[in-house]
Amino acid sequence: MIEFKNVSASYDGELAVLNDVSFTVNNGDFVAFVGTNGAGKSTTMRLVNGLLKPTSGEVLIDGVPTTSLKTSELARRIGFLFQNPDRQICCNTVREELMFGFKALGEEGSEAEARVDAMIERFGFDADAEPYLLNRGTRQLLALASIIVLAPPTIILDEPTTGLDFRECVKVMDVVRELNENGTTVIMVCHDMEVVGDFARRVIAMTAGRVVADGPTFEVLRDGRVLKEAHILPPQVTEVSLILGREAACPAAVAEANTVAQMVTAVAQACDREVEDVEVEAID
Amino acid sequence: MIEFNEFSFRYREGAEPVVRDITLSIPDGCFVGITGAAGSGKSTLTYAINGIIPHCYPGDFYGSVTVEGCDTVDTSLTDLSRLVGSVCQDIDSQMVSTVVEDEILYGLENFAVPREEIPARVDEALASMGIADLRDRTIDSLSGGQKQKVAVASVLALHPKVLVLDEPTAELDPASSVTVFDLLARYAREHGTTVVVVEQKIALLSDYADMLVIVDEGRIRFADTPDAVLAHSEELLALGVNVPRSTTLMNALSAQGLYAGPTVRNVAGAAAALKEVLA
Repeated sequence: MIEFKNVSASYDGELAVLNDVSFTVNNGDFVAFVGTNGAGKSTTMRLVNGLLKPTSGEVLIDGVPTTSLKTSELARRIGFLFQNPDRQICCNTVREELMFGFKALGEEGSEAEARVDAMIERFGFDADAEPYLLNRGTRQLLALASIIVLAPPTIILDEPTTGLDFRECVKVMDVVRELNENGTTVIMVCHDMEVVGDFARRVIAMTAGRVVADGPTFEVLRDGRVLKEAHILPPQVTEVSLILGREAACPAAVAEANTVAQMVTAVAQACDREVEDVEVEAID
Repeated sequence: MIEFNEFSFRYREGAEPVVRDITLSIPDGCFVGITGAAGSGKSTLTYAINGIIPHCYPGDFYGSVTVEGCDTVDTSLTDLSRLVGSVCQDIDSQMVSTVVEDEILYGLENFAVPREEIPARVDEALASMGIADLRDRTIDSLSGGQKQKVAVASVLALHPKVLVLDEPTAELDPASSVTVFDLLARYAREHGTTVVVVEQKIALLSDYADMLVIVDEGRIRFADTPDAVLAHSEELLALGVNVPRSTTLMNALSAQGLYAGPTVRNVAGAAAALKEVLA
């Protein structure tokens, strides 16, 4: 469990980039932080993984303040995927990269080797390949694999799909979804509202270093006040249903649809038509 | 006008050409969006426009590429850079100064722009990206999004005929991405600049581009208006190219026999079409 209690933070000791922020992330949650550039999302993530200390308030990991946790203890509890995998990858081969975390924690050994082997097999990596020669999507998957090989109970993903093409995006997010289904807590900073709508069960919206909304994904993404205050654009189907709800006399199911399947079903009902299974080849 | 004429290119260290038989004409003032799966050859096409190929990355160059009538092989990189302004994918690799104003000045001074013209050019470039307030900020104090705007502004200050941008909104939030595309489109309209953008955000490209180019395994699969290209959304998804969710929605309705109108590419189009369906 991660708790922020009235947390403020500053990089230079003067200008507050985070202002009295409080929230709790429970074990197994899938939370997306959304907001404009500079809203304080990445700063919040740095406070969670201990890269930054609060100027006031407390950040607690499983009830223990981050200020009293060693870096190695934090690393065991929280895996952090940087936006740019090249800031994370530092070894000459895929195998070395996957072993790096174990080495840093002083936990090399047969169990670590077995977990690395399993990860190589699972992702279909070439163990001897040079990471920098892999394409961007594979480097992102390698960076993700090098975190989850350590089996942290919580992972933080900073813009996990930026720069990835559609297939790579699906591949990365499928792994994340599976991890969450198996109990890993996922905290994601994401600008892609389609990805947020497809995967996150809860959204925390930030603006100017403050939390302006915290709730179930579509409750937040359908709230006009929040959208305006945090300068967020909702996912496209949600936006369509919001427009229809405002401008057209339509059934509630249409005005409340958030996914392609929900909207097709709602429109079919409104037109008194049977609907067949809706297959959507998107991240849906 | 940018013209690719049966252009193929193999990097010296590569076994196979990364782009093959590319023939494409881009008229002056056109806003072109290039997209495709990773490794499809999108960036190579932009390198062929700004002369990085073959001047910096040697290899086997077949066919021809001309920009404003200048053959990119015969024209020096210096002369090409007066015609074509480029914004890299990795913004940090493009920044050379420590302060925003100096970053804008760097290109102007290197291109020997007359001293009396420089202040107005700096003002105009900063204003065009809406970052006049960042003039005295150090580059390392800027967010990724702010740096991207500075990079674009520093290129616009040079008044290029062609602007080539590789994923210019990768680090921007959706509202800022729209702002950058709005600013680019307005600048292109006002100055007759041709804009070539490589971008994965298909919804954004569909809204702004006059021409959408889909590259797959080094070949152009589609080069047409966004409406015409998105009409092939099943094929696009098979190529690993996403389509706007509005398009997916209306295609799904179409598959159920609930919509029979033209291809929809944005939220406004989907809402308008659904109002008619529900009327």
